[in-house]
Amino acid sequence: MDANMAVIGLLALPLVGAPLTYLADRLVLRRGGKPRLGQWITLVILLLSLYILAIFWRSETRREGVWLLVGSISLHWDGLSVLLAFTTLLLGSVVTLFSGTYLAGEKAHDKYFPLLLLMIGAIIGLGASNDLFNLWLWFELMAVSTYLLVAFYPQEKGSLEAGVKYLVQSAVGSVLILLAIALTYTFAGTLQLDGIRARFSDLSAPLWVAGCLFIIGFGVKAALVPLHTWLPDAHAQAPSGISAMLSGVVIEAGLVAMLRALTALGAAETHWGILLMGFGALNMLFGNLMALRQHQIKRLLAFSSVAQVGYMLAGIGVGLAYQQPIALAGGMFHLFTHALMKGLAFLAVGALLYALVISHHQHTPLTVEDVCGAAQRYPLASLTLAIALLGLGGLPPLAGFMSKWQILVGGFSAQTNASVALMIFAGLNSVLSLGYYAPIVNRLYRHQASEAVLKGNPLPLVMILPLLIVALGILVLGFVPSLMNPINDWAASSILGFGIR
Amino acid sequence: MDYLDGVIVLLVVLGLVGIGIYAIMVSRNLIKIIIGMQVMVKGVLLAFVLAGRVSGNMGLGQSLALTVIVVDTIVAVVALALAVRVRRRFGTLDPRALTTLRR
Repeated sequence: MDANMAVIGLLALPLVGAPLTYLADRLVLRRGGKPRLGQWITLVILLLSLYILAIFWRSETRREGVWLLVGSISLHWDGLSVLLAFTTLLLGSVVTLFSGTYLAGEKAHDKYFPLLLLMIGAIIGLGASNDLFNLWLWFELMAVSTYLLVAFYPQEKGSLEAGVKYLVQSAVGSVLILLAIALTYTFAGTLQLDGIRARFSDLSAPLWVAGCLFIIGFGVKAALVPLHTWLPDAHAQAPSGISAMLSGVVIEAGLVAMLRALTALGAAETHWGILLMGFGALNMLFGNLMALRQHQIKRLLAFSSVAQVGYMLAGIGVGLAYQQPIALAGGMFHLFTHALMKGLAFLAVGALLYALVISHHQHTPLTVEDVCGAAQRYPLASLTLAIALLGLGGLPPLAGFMSKWQILVGGFSAQTNASVALMIFAGLNSVLSLGYYAPIVNRLYRHQASEAVLKGNPLPLVMILPLLIVALGILVLGFVPSLMNPINDWAASSILGFGIR
Repeated sequence: MDYLDGVIVLLVVLGLVGIGIYAIMVSRNLIKIIIGMQVMVKGVLLAFVLAGRVSGNMGLGQSLALTVIVVDTIVAVVALALAVRVRRRFGTLDPRALTTLRR
């Protein structure tokens, strides 16, 4: 199999698999069985996709990237696409393994895995598109599948409310993106990302307006601070597996889409970089401050995602503004480690939520008081949650420390006042964030077991296993961060050297 | 196409998008909010047709507009389905009732 075939396979597999899983589950349901088949088909498809990605990685032609023309749709598979696809597939497989038991009692169980596959397929496609309009199409496909997944419990008021907020804000954002695309097309006369970069070679009013509309439109999905208000509701109300996917890859996919659009308007790259640095600082501070005052754990984790996006923005912003590949690679590395850590945090909280609440057929949110002393009855889930939280807080030797460190190194080696100030600010914010991560770990291990924990049901092994896999990954990346270097560096160089064939 | 025609179409585009945003912000009914979203998208469709005309590739502009119509219909269907659920569960379509999660 050559590189081109691998890329087509990666794009096609999840999209073909989505209806298949749905059909399989419906057939089993009609015969009166339990819909478990869909989960395993989904897992097989995701693992197969990961295998194809590995084949692509080992093929010799990959370095130049793959340029493909399917019909009149042009695709470009470069480092950023690989990073996004790898993150999504990895987290997706773990979430699939986790979600079967978590959702066993739900009525809409059979719709979960097809939508999950659709979302994963859309994100992979989003990374591969080389055309502004296609970028928007994949983006919208991802958005629609997540609308349905956020409002997954149709009987719950909170779930509906989160779904409505998310849908209205995202839809307005996507209209602004469309306006920017129409504007770009009017003045550049093409929609190819590299073509736009060549045509828009000087700073002009349409370029500024289009860029700002792109930042606002994609910023809704990437949770830039004034536009983040849907995020805590949606992430807290969705099923835990979907919270992990939303926090781990969907907001990052919004970020990648924004990067693609902004690098196409590359004449103002420095200015976009500085703007993103500003948003980074705002996101870090606001996310941390809001997370400090949350009592529901999933809401707290959602606000911490807002803060973590700030670190990525800081790395990417410094990278674009001062042409620093190290900072950019650091931002990409943090994208990956954040997906692992936040994914693990949501899954571990989901496991506790399942044991304490959902297995009693309830849907009340889990508060920080509920998990007091959980380590006594659920040692593995608590251990993995602690690893994830401390990693997010940036403690060595966990993966989160390594990625933040690389961003800091990149920022300091840019040697400008703005970047150095931003990095000091980021370091201080990291300390601030421990103010809400550390108390949870403390409660898990050093408090008396709460009433909820005493009444909790045992956790099945199939929910623990995915947690252990991701926790192992975080530890390994903490000790050997250079494992991810080839992908990160390639992603960074494909952003900076964009549009050069 | 005359320069003046282009300006008029552009004004209509901005007007439609503006009306849509205004409707979304002030409406106290979910259905009206969805209508506001639709009005915005109609403005965008016009913008694509205009873009195709100005850049000299009328066909591409129109086909993009058609694709947007399809995608937009899907979003509208999902939004209306959510609105139906909200009406059944909350007993009202007033978005001000949807504030149980705020703190």
